[in-house]
Order: sequence, then structure tokens, then C-alpha cells
Amino acid sequence: MADIMERIAEALIIGKIDEVGTLSQEALDNGATPEEVMSKGLFAGMDVVSTKFKNQDMFIPEVLRSAKAMHAGMDVLKPVLTEGADSSMSGTVVIATVEGDLHDIGKNLAAMMLEGAGFRVINLGIDQKAKDIVKAVKENNPKILGLSALLTTTMPRMPEVIEALKQEGIRDQVKVIIGGAPVTQEFADEIGADAYAANAALGADKAKELL
Amino acid sequence: MKINQTINKTPVFQVLTEDQCEQIYNAALDVVERTGGRFFDYEALKLLKDSDAVVTDDNLVRIPASMVEQALKSHPSKITLTGRNEKNSIKLERNVVNFGTGSDQPFTYDRETGKRRPSTRRDVAEASKFVDYLSNYDFLMSHGIARDVPNSATYDRHQFLAMIENCTKPIIVTAVNAEGLEDQWKMACLIRGNEKEFRLNPLFAVYIEPSSPLKHTREALEKLLFAADKGIPAVYTPCPSAGATSPATIPAMLVQSLAETLQASVLSYLRKPGMPLIMGGVVTILDMLTSAYSYGAPELSLASAAYTDVAKWLGIPMFSTGGCTDSKVIDEQAAAEATTSLFYAYLSGANLIHDVGYLDSGLTASLDTLVMCEEIIGTVRQIGKGICTEDDHLAWQVIDEVGPGGEYLTHDHTYRHWKEWFVPRLQDRADYDTWVAEGQKTMNDRVREETERILREYQPEPLDEKVHQEMKRILDEAEKRHDS
Repeated sequence: MADIMERIAEALIIGKIDEVGTLSQEALDNGATPEEVMSKGLFAGMDVVSTKFKNQDMFIPEVLRSAKAMHAGMDVLKPVLTEGADSSMSGTVVIATVEGDLHDIGKNLAAMMLEGAGFRVINLGIDQKAKDIVKAVKENNPKILGLSALLTTTMPRMPEVIEALKQEGIRDQVKVIIGGAPVTQEFADEIGADAYAANAALGADKAKELL
Repeated sequence: MKINQTINKTPVFQVLTEDQCEQIYNAALDVVERTGGRFFDYEALKLLKDSDAVVTDDNLVRIPASMVEQALKSHPSKITLTGRNEKNSIKLERNVVNFGTGSDQPFTYDRETGKRRPSTRRDVAEASKFVDYLSNYDFLMSHGIARDVPNSATYDRHQFLAMIENCTKPIIVTAVNAEGLEDQWKMACLIRGNEKEFRLNPLFAVYIEPSSPLKHTREALEKLLFAADKGIPAVYTPCPSAGATSPATIPAMLVQSLAETLQASVLSYLRKPGMPLIMGGVVTILDMLTSAYSYGAPELSLASAAYTDVAKWLGIPMFSTGGCTDSKVIDEQAAAEATTSLFYAYLSGANLIHDVGYLDSGLTASLDTLVMCEEIIGTVRQIGKGICTEDDHLAWQVIDEVGPGGEYLTHDHTYRHWKEWFVPRLQDRADYDTWVAEGQKTMNDRVREETERILREYQPEPLDEKVHQEMKRILDEAEKRHDS
């Protein structure tokens, strides 16, 4: 059993998308539980990817290919995961670009990194009004809310989202991480966000820390 | 007497042949016709729906090539921008090169604390002074954002006032939206006298950016429509990142970028034919280790030069990029990266080379980088002058006069021609002992000293007080409208 888990992790690290799917199915057929395949195969592999990326041994397109391979494994596992079981190791994240801002590549990269780190990510997209973000938080009960802005003129929407969470009485149910080129730690402190991340990879790290 | 002579007056540099430019253009037409773009503005969509363009799925617009070619023909083939001092005039004509700063860096290095902090109105004012003073800069972009203004929704007008107060050269402005552009245009009309004078002799061009890939925001489109109405030259150019918001291969990045500008060209034509259009942008890669939008990558130089070839082939003025770096400080990396991109942008013959002085991948501003790049541009221009092989320059008679074993130091020919060389002001050529005696200064030291000198000593020609008051009134009215 340990052997096939290692092979799943290996295939994931080198980005063999189809193989991860096939091997995950093989593991299930040989009696492994989906949770075992997830933690000992898929997430074990993504952990190595994460370390390699931090050590500059892997590049973003390779990391994202491994994330795709992980999805291929998850697709095999989802139908047989115990009803109601959390298909993520780390919990749910809701992520959005704030109102008035159409930029999303950074946010999307962060979303992919978060998924690689074991989160289930609900990507609301761009130009999200505070009330819609709050609605999504209420519906999905995430542990983390990620907000992104590229413009100094849309950054002021971030404290508005935090205020809206307070108004609904759910501010303390979720940790808010903010990011984007003009955003800083000082701004995060000023507006009462829980954390600031300077790039997508750090965002995934910060999210794990905040749990 | 000689006959059938052809000479190179300057070095000749080319990345793409005409056939390759045509390939890129044709592929861009395919994108405009088949893939289309998304337009997030009601007025723009209405104009497009009423034309032969196809609008589906709410806001997906596909445009036939015939409309693109009609639109392209309607833009003026040359543009002149003149600052508030009429002597400061720049031509955007094939192979005429102009250098300028970049816009809207959110952070600046504080001269007192040395720390990186949010940019202020004063930073923009000081940068504008420097561009006014430094002779190798031809146009101004804000080199900072006025973030310390009462309302971030009117920052653009505060910034414009700071620029026009401190710089007499032409400007390329950013605007929050059409209202912000309109206010800045009203302020500029005060200097030209009236709307028609501004149209004839524009003081500024407006910088507008689509959101790659192939999205045009409401703010971008309303600014474009206003520019078309008033004949304001518009730089409508993207900042794609190869491998992320554009394909990873350079020609594909250029195809997509051109498609975005062509879509804007058609829209401006539908609104009112004849808007002066400028193409180009920042074309570079997403660094795959750090996810940085790389201003120092050699790919930026190569892609920009290739895109300039396309612009020249199309007959549209080109907005290129150079003199910038990913380095967070003014160090060897900053100097190396800035120099490379300045050279290739110049050699390619781009009309507006912007972002000179950009540090930290465009996020941080510093006055010292402007001074360092002033020196580098001097060397670039010198090489760009090329070589004259005629008569007094070929000078075989001089060689004959001096003869074997002679010297040229005292010769009249040397006296006449040595002044044609570049005179370095910050690059040191002293002998070692002299260098030690003078304090063992580095380039960084000399740059800093010169920056401080300019800051202390230089005052730009002040703005006419009446005009100034009128401009402030426009600004105050904008503030009142946004007072919440």
C-alpha cells in the first residue's frame, strides 16, 4: 500500500496528470480508503511540490501541472468520499477581486496555490460587491476569505467588505487575508485584516498559518 | 564626383521583416474577427451593436476586418505633443524617438528615511521638476501616485496639477474615468486657450489600458470615447504577461496585444473618426519563480523592439518601454537592466519610450533613477547618432599631414571634432589615485549628489497665476462632487 501511495506522489510531482488518476483508482481498487489516497498520495506529493517551489527547484507552470494532476486524483476519489466528508485537508477558502477591479490573474494563481495546499477554493471572480462576498461567506462557511485588488482606487473596497462582515455579525467566523500589488502589511493592519500576503505562494502559507 | 551612393546615417536595427509584421497583423485580425473581446460599457456596446460588429452573450464583440481597416486609416499618421512651454514639442513620427518616465508607482523611496513608503503628491511634483530639468527626457508621466489626497477618486486631477505646475514638457496622463479625463482636459484647455486649440496642438495624451486577455473595462472605454470626442491622443495599450495573461511566445503576445488595440481603434472610429491613436504597451513575461511582472527581463526588450517593427509597418505611433528594472535598489542589476532596455527601445525607433526610472518591477519610484538614466540615455543617443564617412570625418588628408609617428592632440582636426563625443557627467574616468583623492565615489554616490543638487537648485518656470487659479477651481469642484 505504501508503494502505490509513493507512486501516486511521484507521478503528481512530475505532473503526470493521467497517471495520477489511474493510480488513484488502482489504490482504491486495492482497498485503500479515499482519505488515505488523499493524504498519503495526493497531499504528500503536493507538500513536496510546495517545498521544491520554495527552494526554487520548481517553477509555477510545473506547480500548476502538479495541481492539475492532483485534481485528476480528486476526481477519482470524489464519488466515493464518505457523504459529508470534507474533501479538503485544510478547509474552505472564498476568494474574490473587489468591486470595480477586473484583474484576476494574481487571484487565480493564489486560488490554484491554495488548492495545492489542500484547501477547497470558491473563486467568486472579479468585480465583486461587498454584499455578494458576504453572501458567499454565509453560504459556504469558509475558514478563510481572500481579497485581491490591483488598483489604489479599488483598495478602499477592502475595508468595506470587512465592515459588511461586521454588520452581519460574522466577522469573527472567518480570517481575512488581503493581497495585490499596491497592498501592504500596514494597510492590512489599518483596515483590520487578519493577514497580508506578498504573493500567491505566501498566501497559501499564510492561510495555513491562520487555521 | 561619386554617383549611386547610399549610406547609413545611423545604425539600422530590425527584429522582424515586413512579411513577419504582416503575419502578426493578419493573426490579430483573426482574433478580432473570431475570438473577439468583452466590452464592459453600455455606450460602447450600443455603438458596436449599431454597426456591422457582432455582439453576442451580453458583451462579446467580434468585428469584421473591413471595419478595422477603415478605422486604422482614419487615425492621423503623425502626432505632435507640446508642453506648456511651446519650445517643448515632440513628434511621434516614424523613427523619431522620445524618452519619458512611467506612471503611477504606488511606492516611493523616502529621501530622509531611505524607507519605501506610499507615494505622495509631493513625489509627483518633484519628479516632474526633474523631468523638466533633465534634457534627455522628452515627456512626463507621473512617476508616482498622489496617494495622500483627500479622495482616491480624484487623485488623477491632483496629480495632473502637480505635473503641470512643475514641468513644461508634454505629458501622458492617467485618469480614474471619463470624468477625471474631462477635468484634466479642461485644465489643459486653459493653457491652450480653448478646445479647438487643444485638438490642434494637444498638451497631453491619455494612457488607457485594456485588461488582457481581450477585456475592456467600463472606465477604459468611457475614457476612450471621451478621447475620441475631443481628439485627445490616446495611448490604448495593454500590459500582458507572457505565460499568464497572454500566450508564452512573443509573437502570440503581440498578436493579442494588437488585437486589443485594434478593437479600441474601431470603437473610437465609430464614435468619431480621426482620434490620434498610439499603440504599443508593456510586453513582457511573468517570472515563473516569483510571479513578478518582469521589467528587467531581456524578453521585454526583444518583444518591444519586435512590436515597434509592427507599429512602423502599420504606420501607427509606438509606445514602448525602457530604462526600468526589477531591482528594488539602484545597483548593478538596475543599471544593467535599464541600459539594455533603453538601447533596444531606442534602436527599434519607438516614438515614446516610457517607464524610464521604474524600479521594483514598476512598483517603486525614486528620483535617483531618473538621474542615472539621464546619463545612460546620453550614451544611447550618442551611439544612435551613427557615423559619418564623408570628407572631414574620413580625413585621410589629416592622416597624411600628421604622418607616421606624429600626434593628433594639437591638430586642428581634433580641435574641431572632439566635441562631437559624449561628455560623461556621472561616469568616472579618472586615474586611480585621483579617484581615491576625490573620495573613492561610486556611481551611486555621484548619482545621489547630483539628485540632491537638482532638488536644491532647480526651479521650473512657474505656471501663469490666473491659469493656476482656474485649474485649482476645477480641482475643487471635483473634490466637492466626490465629497461623501
